[in-house]
Amino acid sequence: MSLALPTTAADQDDADTRTDAWTCPFCALLCESWRPVATDPPGLQGSDCPRALAGLAALGPSDTASPRALVDGAPADLVTALDAAADRLRAWRQPLFGGLGTDIAGARALYRLAARCGAVCDHADGEWLSQATRAVQDRGQFITTLGELRSRATLLVFVGTPGTARYPELFRRAGLGEPESPCRGLVFLGSAPPAALPAGVEVDVVAGSGDLAADLQQLAALVDPQRLRGADPALAALAERLLAAPYAVLVWEGATLPSESALVIEMLHRTVGTLNRSTRAASFALGGNDGAHGVQQTFTWLSGLPLRTRVSASGLVHEPRSHGSDRLLAGGAVDGLLWISSFDPARLPPTTTLPHIVLGPPAMRQALADAGQLGDTVWVAVATPGVNAAGHLFRIDGPVVLPVQAWRDEGLPGVARVLSGLADRLEASS
Amino acid sequence: MSPTVRIRGGRVVDPVNGIDGIADLGVRDGRIVALAPHEPVGQEIDATGCVVMAGGIDMHSHIGGGKINLARLLLPEDHRRGFAPAALRDNPLELPSCGDCAPGTLATGYRYAEMGYTAAFEPAMSAGNARHAHLEMGDVPILDHGAYVMLGNDELFLRLLHDGAPPELLRDYVGHVVHATKAMGVKVVNPGGISAFKFNQRRLDVDERHVHWEITPRQILGALARALHELGLAHPLHIHASNLGIPGNIDSTLATIDALDGFRGHLTHVQFHAYGQDGPKKFSSAALRLAEKVNATPTVSIDVGQILFGQTVTASGDTMRQHANAGHGSPRKWIGADLECDAGCGVVPFRYREQSYVNALQWAIGLELFLLVDDPWRIVLTTDHPNGAPFTSYPHLIRLLMDKPFRDEQLARLHPDVAAQSALKDIRRELSLSEIAILTRGAPARLLGLADRGQLGAGAAADIAVYRPAANAEAMFSTPAWVFKDGVPVVRDGRVIATPVGGTHFATPGFDPGIEATITRHTERHMRDVPRHRVIGRDELCACCNGGRLLPAACFPQVA
Repeated sequence: MSLALPTTAADQDDADTRTDAWTCPFCALLCESWRPVATDPPGLQGSDCPRALAGLAALGPSDTASPRALVDGAPADLVTALDAAADRLRAWRQPLFGGLGTDIAGARALYRLAARCGAVCDHADGEWLSQATRAVQDRGQFITTLGELRSRATLLVFVGTPGTARYPELFRRAGLGEPESPCRGLVFLGSAPPAALPAGVEVDVVAGSGDLAADLQQLAALVDPQRLRGADPALAALAERLLAAPYAVLVWEGATLPSESALVIEMLHRTVGTLNRSTRAASFALGGNDGAHGVQQTFTWLSGLPLRTRVSASGLVHEPRSHGSDRLLAGGAVDGLLWISSFDPARLPPTTTLPHIVLGPPAMRQALADAGQLGDTVWVAVATPGVNAAGHLFRIDGPVVLPVQAWRDEGLPGVARVLSGLADRLEASS
Repeated sequence: MSPTVRIRGGRVVDPVNGIDGIADLGVRDGRIVALAPHEPVGQEIDATGCVVMAGGIDMHSHIGGGKINLARLLLPEDHRRGFAPAALRDNPLELPSCGDCAPGTLATGYRYAEMGYTAAFEPAMSAGNARHAHLEMGDVPILDHGAYVMLGNDELFLRLLHDGAPPELLRDYVGHVVHATKAMGVKVVNPGGISAFKFNQRRLDVDERHVHWEITPRQILGALARALHELGLAHPLHIHASNLGIPGNIDSTLATIDALDGFRGHLTHVQFHAYGQDGPKKFSSAALRLAEKVNATPTVSIDVGQILFGQTVTASGDTMRQHANAGHGSPRKWIGADLECDAGCGVVPFRYREQSYVNALQWAIGLELFLLVDDPWRIVLTTDHPNGAPFTSYPHLIRLLMDKPFRDEQLARLHPDVAAQSALKDIRRELSLSEIAILTRGAPARLLGLADRGQLGAGAAADIAVYRPAANAEAMFSTPAWVFKDGVPVVRDGRVIATPVGGTHFATPGFDPGIEATITRHTERHMRDVPRHRVIGRDELCACCNGGRLLPAACFPQVA
C-alpha cells in the first residue's frame, strides 16, 4: 500500500541552506563553528584562533586593484600570463610541481597537467607526508577520527608534540575539559605541555630520554606482555596506563618529529597494534594543512600512487626519497618549478636559479618581490578556497571531506581554472 | 544530436524483454530506438555473428571511497612491476593510472568499460566519508555509479533503537542520512559489530547483545529493513552479515535472513557467509543450505563475492572481523580505522592460494552458490572487488560458470581434499548466455530499480556491449568488439576510444525534516560545533562527480 510521507525539499537543489556556514581553511582541523569578519585586517567572530587570524591577516583585505599576473616582473593579463607559462612548460624537460597548496579541484586539474608534462609532484610538507606514507606502506596503521576521539578517548598521549602549538583549537575540538568528555588523562611524551591546558583533566609529562625513537621502542616493547629489563619507570607506568585505558589515542605530529621519522611512526603504530590485542587504541596524526591530505588522496585515487610520483604516459614512477623537492632541486634533477600556494601567500618557492611558474594569492606578489623572486617567473594570482572560492578539503583525520565556502569575491580564478588553461594550451599545441 | 546508429544482425540477448535472437538494434540520442528496416542511419555496425547485450552492471564493487584509497596507499607494490613502473596502455586517451587489485579510479573506469561494463556501485560509503566517495566515483570515467551508505553501526541509530524510538523516527533518520549523503541504498555491515568493537567486544552473533547499547543485530536488521521498506527505496537493505569468514557462520547467515521478518533484503558476498564446520578440518561448504534458504525465500536476493586465486586486498567496513583476520594478511600489513561514530574500516592484503584447503574450498563454495540458486533474477555476479578478486577476473569467472569441463580442470589443480570432496564436481549445470546476461545485467538493474538499464528495449539507455562469440567465454567477455555508453561508442575491439563522464544515481526519499533537530540533540556530545551529516546539495554533488549527470530515483513509500 502506498503512503504519502512528509516530504523534504528533495526535488530542489537541496544543499545545506544555512547561509552562515563557514569552514576555516587555515589548518586541517577545518573548524566549522565560527566566521570571518571583513574588517581590515580581517577578524573572526566566535573564536580567537591565532592560526586563523594569522591566515586571514596574511591574505590582507580584499584587493581588486593590484595586477593579477606578472611575467618576469611585468604586469600582464591572465591570457598573456597563461600563454607565457605554457611556453615555459613546453620547454622544460623535467619539471617539478611543488607547494601544491590547493583544494581537490586543483589537485584534479594538476594531475592532468602533470601527466601532460611528465612532472614530479611533491607537496611543501612532502617530507613528513612521505615519512608517514612509508610507515603505512611498511606495516599499516590503526587510526581514529575527531568524532571518535571526542566521544571515546579516555587517555590521550601526545608523542613529541604539544598538540596546540600549530593546532590552537585542538583541545576544544577534542572536547577536553567538557563535562561529558570521557578523557581523564593527558600525557606529554617527549614534549612540554602547552601553557593553556583544559581544566579537570590530569596532565602528566614523561620526559623520556630525549631520543623519541628510543623511547617509543621501549614503549612498544612495554605494552607487549613480554618483560623489558631496565626500562624507564615513567615509560613503564605509561605502558600500564595504556593497557588499562579502555580507549587510548596516541597523538603525533609529523612536523615535530626528527628527520627520517618513518621508523618512529612505525613504532607508534606498532604500539597501537599491540594495545588493540587486549584493549582499544588508535593513533591520530596532526598534519595535512595547505591541502596536503587532499592532494595526496586525489593523486592516489587517480593514479594508484601517492605524491612523489613522476606522472607520464610512459609510466608512473613513485620514489618517496629521490622525488622529494629538496633532493630534486639540490641535485639539479629538474629544470623548471611550478609552485602552488593558494592558502598561504608567505609560503614562497624555494630559492633556486630555475625558472618558475607561481600560483598564489594576490598578497604573494609583494612577498615575491621582497624576496627577489620575480625574475624568470610567471606569477598568477589565484583564489583561496574558503576565502574567495568554494572548494573541498580533507580534514586532519583523513576520512572526512568538507566543503569550504567563499565569503568574499575578488574575481580571482581558482587553481583548477589556471591549471586547466595551461593543460588546454599544451594539448592544443601537441 | 548524435547520428542514429544501427547495430545490425547480432544475436540480441536481452532477458529483461524475453529476447534471445537475431535482431537489429537502433540507437539515437543515447537511447535504444525502434528503427524501420530500411530507415537510413548515420552509422551502421555489422554485428553479424556477435552477441549483443546491455552494458554490464556491477552492483557491489569497492570502486571509490576511503577504504579503497587506503588500499592503494598501503600497496605501492600493486602499482609497479618489481622495480619497474607498471606498464600502461599505449592509448593517448587514457591518463596514467595503474594497479591490479586496487587500481586507480581512472584505470578502474577504463578496465570496466573494456569488458563491456557501464555501471558499478560502491557498496560501503560511510556517512562522514560521503563526499570523498562521490569525488572518487566522479573520477571513474565512463561508468555510471552510486553508493550505499552504511548504517546500523552509527551511534545515533543504535542509541535510538536502545531508547525504544518508534519506527517513524528511525525511518526519518534513515531517510535523512540517505538524502544528506546522496546514497542510492543502505548497507549494514556486521550489524552492531563495528560499533561493538569500539567498546572492545570481539564477537557479536545475531542474537548476542552489544556490550554498550544492549541491542542485538537481529533488532538492527529488522529496524533497518522496515525503515527502507517504508521509505520505498528501490534497493532493499544491503546486508553484510555477522561473523564473516568464521567456520560455522551459516547459522548466523540463516538467522540474518529470518531477522528480516519478511521484509526484502539483499545479502552480499554470501560466499564469505556460507561456511559449515564439518569434516576433519572443521571447515566445510554450507552452500547447499544457503541456496535452499534463498530458493525458499523470494524476498531475498544475493551476490556471491566469488574468490579467485592470486593477490588481492580485502577492504571492508567490518573492523571487528578485519582485525581478527589481519594476522592472515599477505603481505603482512594492514590498516584499520574507527570512523566518526558512524562506521569503521579495515584493509588487509590477501593472497588466495590454490593449494590452501581453506581458499580452495572458498572458491568451490562460491561456484556452488552460483549453480545451486534456482532463480537467476535473485543472484548477481560479483567478486566483491577487490575482496574476492579484482573485477578484471569477471570473464574468467563467467567461463567457470558456463563451461563444466573448464571448471573441472580448475578443480583438479586445487588442494586435493577439496577436489575430492566438493559437491562442485557433481554439479553439471552450465549457465547459458541468457543467464549470464541476467546475473550481470538484468538482475542487478532490477534489484537497484534501474528500469531503463540492464535491458535493450526501446526507450532504454543505450548502454550496449557487442561481443564476438568464441568457444572460450573468457576470451569473448574480455574484449568486446563495441561498447556504447548512453549511445556513445566508448570501446572498440577492447580499446577505449572515448571517456565520457558517467552519471550519479541517488535515491530521493521523503521524510520528516524535523528529524534534524533530533540528530543535533543526540550527537551534541561527540560532535559539538560540527553540523552532522552536512547535506550534499545537488550542485555540490555535480561538482564532486566531475559534472556528470545526476540520476535521482523516486521512492515509493509503503506502510509496514
